[in-house]
Amino acid sequence: MISPAFWSGRWSRASVLFLFLFAAWIVAPSSLWAAPPQPEKAVRGPCVRDAEWMRRNHMDFLKHKREETVREGVAVKSESFLACSGCHPSRERFCDRCHAYVAVAPNCFECHQYPK
Amino acid sequence: MTMDRRSVLGLGGAIAAGVALAPGLRLIAAPETSPGSVAASTPGKRWAMLIDTSRCSSDCSACVSACRTENNVPLFGDPERDIHWIRKVELRDQSQRKAPVSLPVLCNHCEQPPCVHVCPTEASFIRHDGLVLIDKHRCIGCRYCIIACPYKARSLVFYKTKPPKDTNPNVPIRAAGVVEKCTFCAHRLDEGKLPACVEACAKADKGAMLFGDLNDPKSEISQRLLKEKSQTIRPDLGLKPHVHYQGI
Ligand code: HEC
Ligand code: HEC
Ligand code: HEC
Repeated sequence: MISPAFWSGRWSRASVLFLFLFAAWIVAPSSLWAAPPQPEKAVRGPCVRDAEWMRRNHMDFLKHKREETVREGVAVKSESFLACSGCHPSRERFCDRCHAYVAVAPNCFECHQYPK
Repeated sequence: MTMDRRSVLGLGGAIAAGVALAPGLRLIAAPETSPGSVAASTPGKRWAMLIDTSRCSSDCSACVSACRTENNVPLFGDPERDIHWIRKVELRDQSQRKAPVSLPVLCNHCEQPPCVHVCPTEASFIRHDGLVLIDKHRCIGCRYCIIACPYKARSLVFYKTKPPKDTNPNVPIRAAGVVEKCTFCAHRLDEGKLPACVEACAKADKGAMLFGDLNDPKSEISQRLLKEKSQTIRPDLGLKPHVHYQGI
């Protein structure tokens, strides 16, 4: 039996708050915590590399291509930065959706023209 | 070898997959190279320009405006800070015995470029066809190169700019705090075209600019440099510039 003094003490308020938060956690939809990003579907296919591979490695791919194009002077037209927009026509609905989710902000579009 | 977080995580995945899959089978397919049209620079070339000032008139600036259109170069309207890849200069004889000469000045794509030597990040570099270029991804905007260049060929982008109305989609626009200059239109050369200024000069019926490969002894520019009198600006600096002039 818990003494009546307990319910008026500091601990009681803490446990009520805890129970309330616990209930909210159980009831709330999981999307509140982890809505996965929904990048727009490509208008055509296939991707310049395996799409699964691109999801993880597109940043290295782009930076590798950039060294090759700018410093070595070998530009593969179909794999250029500009070519991405031929199949992924919006950076806001494609690139930015994922990047906002993982909080990276590449500055590429300050210089590279890509449709919004 | 250094590893970033992503590759370490990937390695963990690969080890886990290696347990489950037969040897030689990989979870993630290795990227295959796909064929496509390639615009490539050619090693062993030495691009150069010959400008005949007797055919260049002071009232013509076709090369300058063609360059701005091709490379999306904006004008801020602030003469101290405007970006110039190519500009028209008037040479006056101090004794006034000769008529003033009008000529375009642009990056000389030197063989011994001081801008490259002072660059702390190796953003300025010599490409294997002799072009002196800036890798804008590496430029930190320190401006050592602007001070080093005796031709005033380089500009810092001081302000954030909006893309011009009729932007050329093939050339990136610019970010503030990065140095830029004439590229001899590297993107056009790689496709087998001439620089925009040379093309515009010919279209304006001047034909004052000749562009070509110095390493090819049969090219028109090699022949003319061999047979006719020409000079470069400040040859005494020993930089071996490759914009040659006649009539100055
Ligand atoms: C020929 C069309 C095409 C081109 C060009 C192309 N992609 Fe793709 N990309 C696709 C397709 C198809 C997918 C598969 C997913 C889908 O259908 O949306 C994909 C998937 C991706 C993904 C994974 C997206 C996800 O939903 O997980 C990334 C990242 C990506 N591409 C980046 C790029 C980049 C960067 C470039 C430019 C170098 C590029 N793509 C060029 C067609 C293309
Ligand atoms: C300060 C401006 C600037 C920024 C910022 C910038 N680039 Fe570039 N980039 C350029 C210029 C200029 C070129 C040369 C284009 C050419 O040669 O036609 C280029 C070329 C490239 C190329 C090769 C050409 C092509 O179209 O495929 C790639 C790839 C590239 N950049 C990727 C990136 C990526 C990825 C980022 C962001 C992390 C980025 N760039 C940020 C200016 C910039
Ligand atoms: C499937 C989701 C997804 C899509 C679509 C996507 N990215 Fe990314 N991108 C990521 C993730 C995740 C990272 C961060 C990886 C990490 O932790 O370093 C990233 C990182 C990058 C980086 C490196 C940033 C840095 O700070 O190093 C560049 C550059 C980049 N993305 C370019 C692009 C471009 C351009 C597009 C659109 C054509 C694009 N991405 C589309 C998920 C995506």
